[in-house]
Amino acid sequence: MADKSTTLVQGTLDMLILKTLALEPLHGYGIAQRIEQISRGVFQVNPGSLFPAFRRLERSGLIDTQWRATENNRRAKYYVLTDQGRKRLNSETKEWGRQIAAIARILEARS
Amino acid sequence: MALIRSVIRNLTAGLRGLFRRREADEELDSELRQYLDAAVTEKIKAGMRREDALRAARIEMGSAEAVKEDVRAVGWETVVETFWQDIRFAVRTLRKNPGLTAIVITTLALGIGANTAIFSVVNTVLLRPMPYKQADRLVTVWGANKARGYDLDLVSYSDYLDWKSQNRVFESMGAATDEMYTLTGAGEPVAVIGYAFSPDFFDVLGVPPVLGRTFGRDEDQPGKDHVVVLNYHLWRVQFGGDRSIVGRNVTLDGKAYTVIGVMPQSFQYPQSVELWTPLAIVPDYAKDRGIRWLRVLARFKPGVTIDQAHSEMKTIAARLGSAYPKTNKDYDVNLVSLRELTSGDVRPALLVLLCSVGLVLLIACANVANLLLSRAVTRKREIAIRVALGASRLRMLRQFLTESVLLGIVGGAFGLVIAYWGVGALVAMFPTTISNLSIPRVETIPIDRWVLGFALLASVVTGIAFGLVPALQACRVSPNESLKESGRSGTAGSHGRRLRNILVVSEVALSLVLLTAASLMIKSFVRLVQADLGFHTDHLLTLRVLLPEYKYGTDTEQLAFSNEVLGRIQSSPGVKSAGTVTFLPLSGWWGTREISIAGRPADPAAKNPRPVWSSVSPDYFRATNIALLKGRYFTDQDNKSTRNAAILSASLARELWPNEDPIGKEVNVQGFNGTRQVVGVVGDISQLGIGVHQSGINSEPTSEVYIPFAQEPTHLLCFAIRTAGDPLSVANAVRREVWAVDKEQAMSFIETMDQLASETTALQRASMILLAVFAGLALVLASIGIYGVVSYSASQRTHEIGIRIALGAGSRDVLHLVIGEGLLLTVAGVAIGIAGAFGLTRFLASLLYGVSSADPATFVTVPMVLTAVAVAACYIPARRAMRLDPMVALRYE
Repeated sequence: MADKSTTLVQGTLDMLILKTLALEPLHGYGIAQRIEQISRGVFQVNPGSLFPAFRRLERSGLIDTQWRATENNRRAKYYVLTDQGRKRLNSETKEWGRQIAAIARILEARS
Repeated sequence: MALIRSVIRNLTAGLRGLFRRREADEELDSELRQYLDAAVTEKIKAGMRREDALRAARIEMGSAEAVKEDVRAVGWETVVETFWQDIRFAVRTLRKNPGLTAIVITTLALGIGANTAIFSVVNTVLLRPMPYKQADRLVTVWGANKARGYDLDLVSYSDYLDWKSQNRVFESMGAATDEMYTLTGAGEPVAVIGYAFSPDFFDVLGVPPVLGRTFGRDEDQPGKDHVVVLNYHLWRVQFGGDRSIVGRNVTLDGKAYTVIGVMPQSFQYPQSVELWTPLAIVPDYAKDRGIRWLRVLARFKPGVTIDQAHSEMKTIAARLGSAYPKTNKDYDVNLVSLRELTSGDVRPALLVLLCSVGLVLLIACANVANLLLSRAVTRKREIAIRVALGASRLRMLRQFLTESVLLGIVGGAFGLVIAYWGVGALVAMFPTTISNLSIPRVETIPIDRWVLGFALLASVVTGIAFGLVPALQACRVSPNESLKESGRSGTAGSHGRRLRNILVVSEVALSLVLLTAASLMIKSFVRLVQADLGFHTDHLLTLRVLLPEYKYGTDTEQLAFSNEVLGRIQSSPGVKSAGTVTFLPLSGWWGTREISIAGRPADPAAKNPRPVWSSVSPDYFRATNIALLKGRYFTDQDNKSTRNAAILSASLARELWPNEDPIGKEVNVQGFNGTRQVVGVVGDISQLGIGVHQSGINSEPTSEVYIPFAQEPTHLLCFAIRTAGDPLSVANAVRREVWAVDKEQAMSFIETMDQLASETTALQRASMILLAVFAGLALVLASIGIYGVVSYSASQRTHEIGIRIALGAGSRDVLHLVIGEGLLLTVAGVAIGIAGAFGLTRFLASLLYGVSSADPATFVTVPMVLTAVAVAACYIPARRAMRLDPMVALRYE
């Protein structure tokens, strides 16, 4: 698994999760799926990284948990983005943008 | 705000994970199961068969257990959990080995306990803030005259006023002097030690009274100055803690004084003073700048340093010196901070003790480390299995350290008990009547939070110190080797042995240093106690009487009292002879007067001697056995109608007339009219005690001038009564006789001269005893250490010894083999120890009397003793080795 997909740095994974939840609350597998979908298969996250990330984010107050019914009418644990999480997502996204632009400039600079 | 919320959330979630572990686990479980289900459902939707989908999903997820572990690792509660696990495991391990655990805990308790005890004394005496407002800004101001050797001289009234008005460095300044009063009207007449404060003195100290008020600005004026502030202790003991005492009158020296206030319990300025009266300025004293009688205390302005103040005061003193050359020439100013004044005497001894007890703890740590090292060998297999199962080195290290810190803390807890008892014993060594030490009065030395904190810190640091090395050593174990059946490597190998040897050698070295220091102190103390004081202290009862002015205003009255009381005492049963003296030797009280040869031109720059003076009754010398060297003692014929007489001590006589016979020559004694004829020379005595130094008098031997009491009576009378039997047995009779003459006369300090002598050496005695105890402890620990190492090494070499015996080695050879190893270690330790002792005992020099800190005899005998003890410790393992049956030994694994 690790050789196929790009291994994600902890901080990046956190941000992706937050972004995913910005659209709507999801349960664990749903988040994994969404990330894989949107990144067109580049990022495939396994539970071994996902679940610790969930707990981390929860402890930091960036996401919240809710027990809801799934499409199959089963009880599942859903994760919800909190206000604080939304704020963090916005600031991180801005920072990311700055960094990527800078890297791009460096990489494109005439040697 | 959001931060607080997230902290709270973290906290509650963690607590939930800690205490509702199962629920949290189940929740995690169900979530993972759900994930799996969702994954399977997706795959089935994508077209896989159910079993394939299940398998694929499981593979994708990986090990559920691993995931759970990873998730759990995120929360802080896992740290707490593993910590708790470590502790439980440590307790189990320690319980499995009760013998070892008991020895370790005992060793640690002794080491940490001793350290805590000494620290609590250091804390109370040196570190605790003094009970005055911003006490570090308080400084005592003294006169100094380098030419005459005075560095802490009292101050004259005019000088004090000039200092006060001319300085710019002090915010406030006060003057004081000691007084003694007879308190009557409340039970038995009692002599109380008082202190006269200038009106603003209490303000300099800045401590408010618990009852009433302190002196007002004008209360030193005659007519307004019969007010008194009581000490807490006196208020409780003499007046029963009566809260309505303020406004009541008490009788001091026959006069009525109004009580205006009571000071708090912690206020003791200076030591052992019981009440304070306003400083009354005697006009004669006020005018003469040469009469120096005041003690000055001052408070720095904020930001002023002691050096700045010193240079300012130096300038002022120089100014006064040139303005008044007759009295102030060569007079300088000396500043001593209050803290330094009150604890400077004991600080060197305390620091030495603190270092010594620290060395003891180091030795104890080395011992315990050795013990743990040997035990680590037996746990090799356990460690190997854990490592093989995936335990990280860090985790193992943490486990071992938890064990050793736990041992440290338990040892420390027992150590606190030892400390409590030890401190009690320490305080008992310093009776409160000691005159020559300015130690802060410590009724009890409390075990407060600083001491507890120290004990805890010491326990934890000790635990880490002795646990680190065995822990690191144990973690080196390679599982492959250790799990094999006949694995006998590991700590038994060369690396482990070297470590153990190093520990033992350092133990021996440290004990040698301690033993040398202790021997030096013992030798010094013996010299001190045997030193000749110039008089005999045995069978001598002493007591002190202060005749109040109002009743004994004239010489005749004082003489009448003295004669009658002496007569009665001398005819009491059990009394061989009795005399009086103004300043009793070893009492801590003394006064000096200038003496000059009569007829020589008065030369202000001449360094006339300033001996201690006393008025004595004729039998005084006989009672105290002071030797007569030339001429005669005083007799009843020396009185007001005959020629003025004087007796000089030998050193004073030599100083005045180096080459002539002093008998018959005339002297002038400051303050007494008329010249006096020298009628006798007596042996030198030590007024303050051997080894005690006081600025202003040369204490060894002390120059003394004696004057017949009948010619110059004094209000202060100290009785010296030589008895046939136990001096205290005549104490009651003596009291009766005094009260028969004057039933309102108070007496104080009724004790034997032997008691006084032992009080003057209290500090040295206590230091010696403590150091000896520490050294003894060190010796025992080091012997145990050597025994342990040699015994262990011998048992490791059982196989080898068996072969040697089988090949023909005699028992003597085996003995040499075993003891030889121990001897080598000991000699190495002793050699290092001697070098260390040479370097370190010089810090002891200020505490030693009559012994050099490099005393050759000590440096030879102590190593020999230590070596002998160490060899003896090797004897038992050696004997065991000698008795080995080679057949058994060869099969030994």
